[in-house]
Amino acid sequence: MKEFTPLPDKPAPNDVVGIIPWLRENLFPTPLNSLVTLAIIAFFATLIPPLFDWLFFSANWSGTTQDACTNKDGACWVFVIAWSKQFFYGSYPVEEIWRINTCLLALIAIIIASFKLHKDLRNKIAIPLFLLLPFLSIILLDGSLIGLEYVATDYWGGFTLNVMLAAASIIVAFPLSFLWALGRRSDMPFIRSVSVILIEFFRGVPVLALFFMGSVMLPLFFPEGTNVDKLLRVWIVLTLFMSGYMAEVFRGGFQAVPNGQYEAADSLGLGFWQKTLLIILPQVIKISMPNILATFVMLFKNTTFLLIIGIFEMLSTTQTALTNSNWLGGHSTEGYLFVAVVFWICCFSMSMISSSIERKLDTSHRN
Amino acid sequence: MSEKPQVKSSPSFFNNPRNRSLIYQFLLLAGLVYFFYGIITNTLANMESRGIKSGYDFLFTTAGFDILMSLIPYDATYSYGRTFVVGLLNTILVSTIGIVLATIVGFLMGVAHFSKNWLIRKLAVVYIETFRNIPLLLQIFFWYFAVLATLPSARQSLSIGEAIFLNVRGLYLPGLIAESGAGFVYTAIGLAFMAIIFLTRWARKRQNDTGQQFPVFLTSLGILFGLPLIALLLSGLPFTWDFPELKGFNFRGGITVIPELMALALALTVYTGAFIAEAVRAGVQAVPHGQTEAARSLGLKESRIMKLIIVPQAMRVIVPLLNSEYQSLVKNSTLATAIGYPDLFTVFVGTTLNQTGQAIEIVFMTMAVYFVINMTISFVMNRFNASVELAERN
Repeated sequence: MKEFTPLPDKPAPNDVVGIIPWLRENLFPTPLNSLVTLAIIAFFATLIPPLFDWLFFSANWSGTTQDACTNKDGACWVFVIAWSKQFFYGSYPVEEIWRINTCLLALIAIIIASFKLHKDLRNKIAIPLFLLLPFLSIILLDGSLIGLEYVATDYWGGFTLNVMLAAASIIVAFPLSFLWALGRRSDMPFIRSVSVILIEFFRGVPVLALFFMGSVMLPLFFPEGTNVDKLLRVWIVLTLFMSGYMAEVFRGGFQAVPNGQYEAADSLGLGFWQKTLLIILPQVIKISMPNILATFVMLFKNTTFLLIIGIFEMLSTTQTALTNSNWLGGHSTEGYLFVAVVFWICCFSMSMISSSIERKLDTSHRN
Repeated sequence: MSEKPQVKSSPSFFNNPRNRSLIYQFLLLAGLVYFFYGIITNTLANMESRGIKSGYDFLFTTAGFDILMSLIPYDATYSYGRTFVVGLLNTILVSTIGIVLATIVGFLMGVAHFSKNWLIRKLAVVYIETFRNIPLLLQIFFWYFAVLATLPSARQSLSIGEAIFLNVRGLYLPGLIAESGAGFVYTAIGLAFMAIIFLTRWARKRQNDTGQQFPVFLTSLGILFGLPLIALLLSGLPFTWDFPELKGFNFRGGITVIPELMALALALTVYTGAFIAEAVRAGVQAVPHGQTEAARSLGLKESRIMKLIIVPQAMRVIVPLLNSEYQSLVKNSTLATAIGYPDLFTVFVGTTLNQTGQAIEIVFMTMAVYFVINMTISFVMNRFNASVELAERN
């Protein structure tokens, strides 16, 4: 029997491949479009050379004081370099910075471990460590409990504070929001209404109002004489705020788990918590992962709002640096640009991860 | 046959789901009562020791501070209640400007994502990904401290046709001053809107009945501009322009937009616009490609496909997203306090709270206001959503 061999594919015709047809198709398809293309090119041609010149070629890179910025036509990166320690670590004592780095490395290590470790080890080691991490970090950063030099929370600051606050809030918000979401789905009317009120309250109120509540109202709620640390109050507020949003994300996840899963777990004779934790939760987390990350990006960006209540996070440090009497040369563009780039890299990479997970989960064949 | 073993027909007390749920709910209730009892007693004790008098009497006492910008007459002799209204109006103003502009920018950029032109497509992507991922507060600061603060002084203002001026003190626009007879023109505008609504209904009914189309858009445009224009001419132009003029060190006359408002509105527009663009993109992408192909095979023109097939289906995805974006814009407008734009938050939670110390009342009132604003947005958008929702056959 003769084997069937298809003829080799014909190459595409010459007028659809190559650079010229691509240009014609994508940049100059119609006269109007060609005009727009030329206008955009002209705009960038006039904008980019001076911008690059200001950013890089004429910029001042070396030096330690403002006087080193001799070229007024270029950016004064000396400002950013001189303040970089404060931007990242706030006024935390220099010789103790290893503690912050340890905490961040531990966070990264645990995140990697929870992806790479075997399932059993992950559940037994990575998850409890993850939940404990905020508390361990506080002990290490504070230092007084374990015999290290005591560093008051007034000295914590900079970009690492943004990262740690956001991470600590989402870690505690995970179990809390899961409970709220469960409460909202519950059959028990009182538990359900309490959950709904909690979730809608923390979602409906501006986060700034929550911060103010934390700083002017929470002290009234505690017994007289109790002095609750400012950063701790912020952490509580951020956690509750995050829980409200995450509870809604989880609710979406719960709804996406097919009913058959609940019924199958019931018919196996699993109890409520076994069913929820062993069957439903893993699926919910998988489905909600992109939205959890998106919510986290929002929380992370919102940590800059802490400037308003006087926490020395990165943006607040920048404002302080800009009003420092030795640096009054109008470096606001450089400062904001630097902060923007740092935040942008973090948020953009997280949204990339989120959309890649989404693509992996998306099994529809729509297009 | 052996006898059936005796099985207790009813489960033990604690295994009965009804009893259980009652116990759990009772425990939660008890916990909440204990929690609130603790909070309330502590708060009362704290307030007493700090000498704070609770109640809303402070709303009627004289405020004694000035506000940078007010839409209604206000000076330091008015009451705290008045400051609340001034702040509320300023919040509504900046939110409205933000919502309208962000919607325009968002839809333009969202549609630009599907342009035939590669450069425009990439520009849209760059815009979305840049501004979505930079904290809003940073953007506000950027516009306020790095852009608007470097504008020229009043004497060297940038100007367009000697009517619009832009300088470090703000944006100056010519204003319209109404004279007697203006009411006639306002009535004409109202009539024009009513006529358009009536015309749209009539045209739709006629198309449903007879299949004949009526050029609604052009006729509406004609009515919208024609009717007020006729009224304007008949009543002898009862409006005069009030141009801003440089007097001394500053401009007088016209409408002044303070830089705080400009920076806040710009940042809210650009930031929320990026999210709306993303929503529009998601909405259009959610329409299956088969819909476009089917429409093409019916012989519809590309512009008609967009209007009749793609947009109505995309709106179902876009509208709920718009709802939440609008709400977060209103909530984000509280960042005004960082640059001193006198919105509700700055005026009330900021200055008034500092002066009176009525923390609980003020925070409660402010939260209630944002709740009400967001409920209103939600209500309007849900009504709108119902009109674009898929009408399935029953």
